[in-house]
Amino acid sequence: MKKNKCKMSSTAEKEFVFEFRAGKHNCVLKVPLQFPVKENINDLHGRLMLLHKIPCYIENELKTLLSNFIKNETILDYDREADLALQRLTTGDVDVNQLTNAWTRSYVETTLEHARPEEPSWDEDFADVYHELIHSPASDTLLNLEHNYFVSISELISERDMEIKKLQERQAAEMDKVMHELGNTLSDQDVNTVASQHFDAQQVLENKWTSELKHVTGIQKQEYQEWVIKLHHDLQKSNNSSKINEEIKVQPSQLSELADSGARMFEEQPQLEESFTIHLGAQLKTMHNLRLVRADVLDFCKHRRHGSSGAKLRRLQTALSVYSTSLCGLVLLVDNRVNSYSGIKREFATVAKECTDLHFPCLEEQLEEVQQVVLYARAQRSSKQKDQPVVSFNEITRNGEDKSKNVERNSSNILPGEFYISRHSNLSEVHVVFHLCVDDNVRSGNITARDPAIMGLRNILKVCCTHDITTVTIPLLLVHDMSEEMTIPWCLKRAELVFKCVKGFMMEMASWDGGISRTVQFLVPKSISEEMFYQLSNMLPQIFRVSSTLTLTSKH
Amino acid sequence: MHPLKDAQLGAFTFFASALPHDVCGSNGLPLTPNSIKILGRFQLLKTITHPRLCQYVDISRGKHERLIVVAEHYESSLSDFLKQGKTVSPEKVLQIAYEVLEGLEFMNQHGMVHRALSTHNVLMDCKGNVKLAKFGLYHMTDHGADVDFPIGYPSYLAPEVIAQGSFHPTDPSHDEAPLPSGPKTDVWSLGMLLFELCAGRRLLQNIDITARLKFILTLGCMDDIVTVLAEEHGCLDTIKDLPENVLELLRKCLTFLPSKRLTPAELLGDPVFNGVSCLYKPFQKPVSLFSSSLRCAHLELPEDINELCKDDDEDYLSERAIDEVYHLWCLAGGDLEKELTNKEIIRSKPPICTLPNVVLEDGESFGQGRDRSFLLDDTTVTLSLCQLRNRLKDVAGEAYYPLLEDEQSSLPQSNSSNELSSTVTLPLIIRERDTEYQLIRIILFDRLLKAYPYKKNLVWKEARVDIPPLVRGLAWAALLGIEGDIKAKYESIDKDTPIPTDRQIEVDIPRCHQYDELLSSPQGHIKFRRVLKAWVVSHPDLVYWQGLDSLCAPFLYLNFNNEALAYACMSAFIPKYLYNFFLKDNSHVIQEYLTVFSQMIAFHDPELSNHLNEIGFIPDLYAIPWFLTMFTHVFPLHKIFHLWDTLLLGNSSFPFCIGVAILQQLRDRLLANGFNECILLFSDLPEIDIERCVRESINLFCWTPKSATYRQHAQPPKVVNDNSFGKTGTYYSSDYQDMPKTDLSREPLPLCDLKAEVSPRISAEDLIDLCELSLAGPNKRTKSSKPKIVAVDIRNVEDFSRGHISGSINIPFSTAFGPDGELVQCPATGILQNYRGRVIVVISHAMKSAAMFATHLVKVNFPRVCILDGGINKLKPTGLLTVPSPQI
Repeated sequence: MKKNKCKMSSTAEKEFVFEFRAGKHNCVLKVPLQFPVKENINDLHGRLMLLHKIPCYIENELKTLLSNFIKNETILDYDREADLALQRLTTGDVDVNQLTNAWTRSYVETTLEHARPEEPSWDEDFADVYHELIHSPASDTLLNLEHNYFVSISELISERDMEIKKLQERQAAEMDKVMHELGNTLSDQDVNTVASQHFDAQQVLENKWTSELKHVTGIQKQEYQEWVIKLHHDLQKSNNSSKINEEIKVQPSQLSELADSGARMFEEQPQLEESFTIHLGAQLKTMHNLRLVRADVLDFCKHRRHGSSGAKLRRLQTALSVYSTSLCGLVLLVDNRVNSYSGIKREFATVAKECTDLHFPCLEEQLEEVQQVVLYARAQRSSKQKDQPVVSFNEITRNGEDKSKNVERNSSNILPGEFYISRHSNLSEVHVVFHLCVDDNVRSGNITARDPAIMGLRNILKVCCTHDITTVTIPLLLVHDMSEEMTIPWCLKRAELVFKCVKGFMMEMASWDGGISRTVQFLVPKSISEEMFYQLSNMLPQIFRVSSTLTLTSKH
Repeated sequence: MHPLKDAQLGAFTFFASALPHDVCGSNGLPLTPNSIKILGRFQLLKTITHPRLCQYVDISRGKHERLIVVAEHYESSLSDFLKQGKTVSPEKVLQIAYEVLEGLEFMNQHGMVHRALSTHNVLMDCKGNVKLAKFGLYHMTDHGADVDFPIGYPSYLAPEVIAQGSFHPTDPSHDEAPLPSGPKTDVWSLGMLLFELCAGRRLLQNIDITARLKFILTLGCMDDIVTVLAEEHGCLDTIKDLPENVLELLRKCLTFLPSKRLTPAELLGDPVFNGVSCLYKPFQKPVSLFSSSLRCAHLELPEDINELCKDDDEDYLSERAIDEVYHLWCLAGGDLEKELTNKEIIRSKPPICTLPNVVLEDGESFGQGRDRSFLLDDTTVTLSLCQLRNRLKDVAGEAYYPLLEDEQSSLPQSNSSNELSSTVTLPLIIRERDTEYQLIRIILFDRLLKAYPYKKNLVWKEARVDIPPLVRGLAWAALLGIEGDIKAKYESIDKDTPIPTDRQIEVDIPRCHQYDELLSSPQGHIKFRRVLKAWVVSHPDLVYWQGLDSLCAPFLYLNFNNEALAYACMSAFIPKYLYNFFLKDNSHVIQEYLTVFSQMIAFHDPELSNHLNEIGFIPDLYAIPWFLTMFTHVFPLHKIFHLWDTLLLGNSSFPFCIGVAILQQLRDRLLANGFNECILLFSDLPEIDIERCVRESINLFCWTPKSATYRQHAQPPKVVNDNSFGKTGTYYSSDYQDMPKTDLSREPLPLCDLKAEVSPRISAEDLIDLCELSLAGPNKRTKSSKPKIVAVDIRNVEDFSRGHISGSINIPFSTAFGPDGELVQCPATGILQNYRGRVIVVISHAMKSAAMFATHLVKVNFPRVCILDGGINKLKPTGLLTVPSPQI
């Protein structure tokens, strides 16, 4: 609104008057002009000549006078506005302090010259150092070290599981005994007491292990980071590589004995997958890779047994690219609470704890931060809404009222379609996890392209664009597990919707980032049938334009 | 653009503001990113050429809205004086002031304001002349609206600029952009800058920005700003000692109220410069290729011709234009981002460290720290030409000045010609990336185009080899024969008055080749609109059909800064290749065109034609956008360029061959599929290998007799004007329609008859020419370039023996085909089988039987079948029919 008013005051109509003689006649040409003049003077001149059939002998004169007129009037306009601005200062309409502070802020926040010096950030320095090392001969050592840390954690975990199991067995036996006696010597009361005792014992044990794990993880992380920095320091200090090699060599031998002992590790199971290369765009085509995978969502996070083929390569790949500009992302569908207490969130947290994150804060800390940020965002939002009571019609109709109620109820929860992001260096194939909030609505058969979950996918792809996440894995059916109501027609309908929407978003992305080639993996739950999988893989080329296979034929 | 000389190439980078998330434009389409807006506005700067201004060369977009600008650059600037801490002599100050004003005045003429004047943006070339740098930043960022940082440096900001406020996107209290600054703001900055030179020290360096700006604003209450400034900085004595005219100049520049301050133009004429202005000649704009004035009017050879060769220091590269050098620099492996990264101007954090924590449903993200790498560091980095010079060190000096004397003889060959001739055989894509090759080609074309239209023939000849991308715009104009004062013509067309087509144009433009940065920029849209409107207005008999926008795109892209040329090229292209396609009722033209096209498919690929006809997949369903837009609707720009490089050399029937070549690339898929799949396939055309397409269409073209693509609605023959520069018609470039019409030419045929015939007709002329029957003696063209031909006479044996053309074989219609249309095994058909692959001309009495025969042949997959227009009767008057001597 403000803008309009301002624009109104600055545009004005002025009249250009031109007099000339044609034969015996005195002619006057009057041209009303809008200032500031936006159109090309040459065009205007051409149009005047044409429109008023002005004789050609005054063509040049008209042109000079016209352009001089416009030039002078424009200068006058500039002067008037500039003088006005200065006047506003002297009259006190504009506060000098506020004005100059705004200028200062602009400079400080946007230019390097005037910006406050940067506080050294441990994260980024470490990132640089690590990125350099992992791309050097030391990478092998780093990986071995990381693996050994992983193994020691797994040992701890298996020990824990063993102990808990033992405890549970013991308790079960005890309980059996108690139940046996129930009604004879013992009352319900006694059973309850025993049960609660058992529960407490379990809690105590679990807590003990949790703190133990936390302790070990902390030590590992510190040790690791110090070691990395030291190694880098040494590397830089001495060009003498022999010493470094020595250092590098020491590590694996020291720790090799620990290798290959994890018993809880993920056993590889037959995965179904199919890859496609597609072209997007009408005229200029960009190439992307799509993959349809039938797997468990956490398979992308779990580490495979050391012996299994490709595990180390995969680990290396992830380590090499963690600070690069080709990251891997994964979409995890979660409920509206930011924690890791239940369901898939808990399972994911378990996987994330199996191995120490040597670079980023552990999941709990990250989630705590997210909770803070959510609260901040809500506060920001509500203050903004107070500022701008006029909400666009669109927003009201789309969001409805129930949503605002929802926010009122618990502002630390997130809404469907919103997501939070966690960063990991310790997962097998993933650096970034998008925790996309969905509600029970996704189980119903009639969600549309305007559904929050779908919009969330769009925003996820947008973040992928802005943060160089070149591989992203999306649950195709927007669920992680199948249930009764998800019939074959339901699956096909859902898959079609997601395929089509993702295609649209990918085309949109091409305009954001210039069409960098990326990989999108569509994940379907493990429980769907092979037949279903192939139905879906048949559907994909009908929606995306699959690039033609190159047939090698002899030249004719 | 002027030669590089002692200048260097410099690059600096900045970020455009990010768009607010998820906002749509008023037309419902996504907003244009700010970087693209800047890129579009930048283009104009490339045309701003003045000795006092650093020539802008290029802009490129990086990731995340980064822009890198390449411009002429010099290492030394006025800051060097200040660094030495010495004062500058008053004479030098006047000279600098005058030269800066010259530059400013020239900018103002083009409606631009510098706004970022400071000592380090006033560069000095080797001769000590001023070159203004970064003068286009304010223009290209739409007065600073498209970037987050303020334009200008705090100490040099004019008071009114400060008063009008700064615009900061994160600042909610300012939701409006400040008003644009006028030319006078630069005069203030110049005053500050000159003061610094006189005082030999920087102004207002010791206090923070807020205090600095406040100080500048308080100067309004002072009577004598110069004295106040001098007192403040303890250099009153130095200032007082200045000559009166310098003091006067400072006072005039540092006038507080803008209304009392002079503009650069006024200041240039001010008496303070009385002693200086006489040393400078006003700048004369070089005459462009297409203008009404004489290009050689100002060309004067010095008395002693040796003068010209005096400063010949063997550095031929620096005599080339800046944009050429930059183009070659890129080809020689130059990478802007790498150069800037090496100098630590581009510092990026690992993306994983800058991820947001939470993203809300509308896309707003939270928890992302401000990234320092997005701050502005506008240091200009010199691009080293070492790599390029090293690459070109073996190119002989002669190669920079090829002689174009003799048209007949082959072009003068340089030492490296052997290498080059081997390069010519490489694929075009590789040639376009070969530094030496491009250097030679660019120089050659540059010289030929300078001599256009005199050297038109040579342009044609060289264009057949290839066209260097850098000069493609002008080369195409030359191929299309553009001449005359196109600018005046374009300007006299009314492009402003609303016309009914406006709405359609407005709808089409934002959907036309929008993947391209230039064409999707607002500037691109404006130019699109103007050129299209100009064409519609100036062709009252034709109308705007959807597709015209696509057709305009390549011309506009190539001549982005020269709308007049884009318009002229388009206006020359359409009558040549799309005559009457844009009539209000164009159905008869298009129908005829498509019928001829299906005949061409049958002619070249009978199997495919049979299949397509069987499933009913007729050209009407897919080929209209191909031909109506000359393939610009189906291909991306870079492919269109390669396709049209050849298309422009061919005649108006060449597009048929391109069409057939495209179909042939998709042949396997078409043959394997039914109607629905074919429709789907063409709704989103798969990738086409364009080089192969061009190669194959040339081959197809050579196999096509000229008259086979005769169309009665084609462009009528041009009135041949006796233009001495007119190109000599060659077989490939001249149109069949342009040939003199004789009795033996093809006769117009009603559309329904044409549609009924599967195979094309050829004229008796062509038959005579191709069979070399002419009585006039052997034709000029060598035999090898002609298609091999066999004439098949299908009259009965008696008629055949009464007279036939020599070399023809006789297969009476009745004997050739069995009841199911299969070819009967007999000696005559055996011969026909042997000739399979040649052009088969079916000759008969009645056209109907010839057409039937041809249809049958096509059915059994005989390629290159055509029929003689008018039958044997046409040949009777020629006296070419022979009677075989009776055999005993």
